[in-house]
Amino acid sequence: MDQIVIQTINGLVNGMVLAVVASGLTLIFGIMDIVNFAHGDLMMLGAFVGATVLGITGNFWLALFVAAIVIAMLGVLLQVTTLRPLIGRDPLTTILATFGISLVLQKYALWQWGPTVRKISEPVSGQFALFHLQYPWYRVATAILAGLIIGGLWLFLKYGKYGIWIRATTQDRVMAQAMGIPVPLVHTAVFAIGSAMAAASGVLFGPFAGVTQTMGSDFTLRAFIVVVVGGMGNLGGSILAAIFVSLIEAYAALVVSPAQAVIVSFVVLVLTMLFRPTGLFVPTPK
Amino acid sequence: MAERWQDEPWTKHLWWTGKTTRRRFLSLSAAAAGAVGATMLVPPPWREAFGQAKPYKVGTLQPLSGTAAAGGKTALVGVQMAVERINTSGGLNGRPIELVIADYESKPDVGRRKAEKLMVEDKVDAHVGGYLSNVCLACMPVYEEHKVVNMVSVCLDTTITTTKCSRYTFRPFDYAPAQAVAISPYLINKMGKKWHIAYLDYAWGQSTRDAYIEQIKKNGGEVVGTTGIPLGTADMASFVSKISGSFDGLFGIFFGANAINFTSAIYDLGLTKKAKYAGDGAIAESTHLAALGQKIEGFVGINRYIPVLDPPLNTAAHRKFFDQAVAALKKIDPSGPLPDRYVQSNFEATNFLKLGIQKSGFRGREDTMKLIEALEGMEVKESDDFPQGDKTLRKEDHQAFLREFIFTIQGGKHKLIEVIAKEKTIVPAACKFA
Repeated sequence: MDQIVIQTINGLVNGMVLAVVASGLTLIFGIMDIVNFAHGDLMMLGAFVGATVLGITGNFWLALFVAAIVIAMLGVLLQVTTLRPLIGRDPLTTILATFGISLVLQKYALWQWGPTVRKISEPVSGQFALFHLQYPWYRVATAILAGLIIGGLWLFLKYGKYGIWIRATTQDRVMAQAMGIPVPLVHTAVFAIGSAMAAASGVLFGPFAGVTQTMGSDFTLRAFIVVVVGGMGNLGGSILAAIFVSLIEAYAALVVSPAQAVIVSFVVLVLTMLFRPTGLFVPTPK
Repeated sequence: MAERWQDEPWTKHLWWTGKTTRRRFLSLSAAAAGAVGATMLVPPPWREAFGQAKPYKVGTLQPLSGTAAAGGKTALVGVQMAVERINTSGGLNGRPIELVIADYESKPDVGRRKAEKLMVEDKVDAHVGGYLSNVCLACMPVYEEHKVVNMVSVCLDTTITTTKCSRYTFRPFDYAPAQAVAISPYLINKMGKKWHIAYLDYAWGQSTRDAYIEQIKKNGGEVVGTTGIPLGTADMASFVSKISGSFDGLFGIFFGANAINFTSAIYDLGLTKKAKYAGDGAIAESTHLAALGQKIEGFVGINRYIPVLDPPLNTAAHRKFFDQAVAALKKIDPSGPLPDRYVQSNFEATNFLKLGIQKSGFRGREDTMKLIEALEGMEVKESDDFPQGDKTLRKEDHQAFLREFIFTIQGGKHKLIEVIAKEKTIVPAACKFA
């Protein structure tokens, strides 16, 4: 029983961080049909920027904010210079382009910051007893903070003027354009928001394991699984899928070896593709 | 409606409509080509001294991108330091060394392909390098097929010099069975009898786990459990949370970012308060210490190299290597890390090759067997070439034996606890060359 409780908390914490990464990814896919293979690397770059700002200022919250802004601006640059000209082309073109961006960003990080692992200190210290473990409050705080970020995004999309523009563009680009919504601007803004969310998740995750130039790789892969399982472009579905996949992996770790537990998410992906290709958390198509 | 988005009216302003004239394109291309060509044509300063002498081509396969890129970059620094030193001091048999660098992207399939390229297209005379054990194992048959000497410079998988040994491959540094023999008495007598081993679940981690299980048992200890964690797992909390029960110490077998993740997870979950923490020295390499901070304090590890200048590492040779490595690392990392075992073993592996070439009068691939015979059983003394200490490159399995350092982390720095003489690390050879 104690292990089930521990793994539930682990799964929720991991799932919430993954949800922040995946929500940016699904937002970008939903509006631009771009499968962004560089998303995990934007997360990594955000973590490096956060670590640098934290090193200078000593303020975690400022680091989180600055990293999000800087990577949002980088997202704007990438969208305008690389992805915008590819809109409407074969999806393979954008996949290759974002894959290329991913390699460039990893190489850049290694060149700029070197091979030494960077540190992001936890803004919340202390632990509480959880059966045989001392569970860190920071992990719980991370889950809550990730929830607040996702909640903020949801409120913005639901009630904000520009959020409504984004939803309208997602539903029908041509009609949105006809109604006077500046679609290219919306595309750029969404890419910036997605990039900022990736950066925020990088800074939040930094204290868990340090900042390295490959820290985004595992998240990219898992975020793609989540986006497919949750329904491509479906924000709510992706969030639920992130928690679902993380919980399943955490519970699987109780009964099988860790190497087998990580396969579980791939099994879920395959089953979803076979039996419910529109995603687990979207209404059944009529 | 247009078939493609970019043909639709609303996308027109997105596209570049200005003109690039052919003249402008050609002039810019010529300028760019000239700039690149000029850079490539400038020879390194030492090249002039060798006149028309044909260089020895030495290939080095390193993971310069992908999951192991950080370690690969520091490993390459070691090879480059040694090659630079050889070339600036007159070369080998009057010939310079030309280093051919290949990036295997941390993937075994790419590694094998790049090894083939080094053999067939670049026609290297010998190879020094490798980092990930699975890549070293994948590439060993390539060197054997092309009859080229392969000096492994980082890979620690036990089977490289045991069940999968090759006459063409040498490991001029330590391996897990020797490390396990060296540290196990300390683990049992000074830290505790019951151990839980957590390891990276791939070739190196698995073979190292087996070596430690054997030695801990042989020294009267007990391994109460093992936990394998897949390579590249971002958050290990779910797997580490499962480690429970009664044990005195937790022994970790990790390297690179995985070592950071594991150490952070066990510290965050309070396991380092419950049990003592020891492990492979790769967990506490100098490039990790700043990121781990308090989390690595008190860790006890074993390593062939630690960046300290205390006795017996207070020699002039080590200080020279240390200072040069610090300067070279500063060029690739602004934070200025101290040298680690990857720099050391790549530096010394290249120097082993140097001695072998000098001793055998090696001219090229046609003399590979002479080079192998020169390297087999080679004894080297602590010197500028081998700042880590004396070594024996055993003839029977091409495995080196050297002194080991048991250390702890105190105040964010390595502190030497005990030096294990190379004679006390020797384990029987378990190799039969084909």
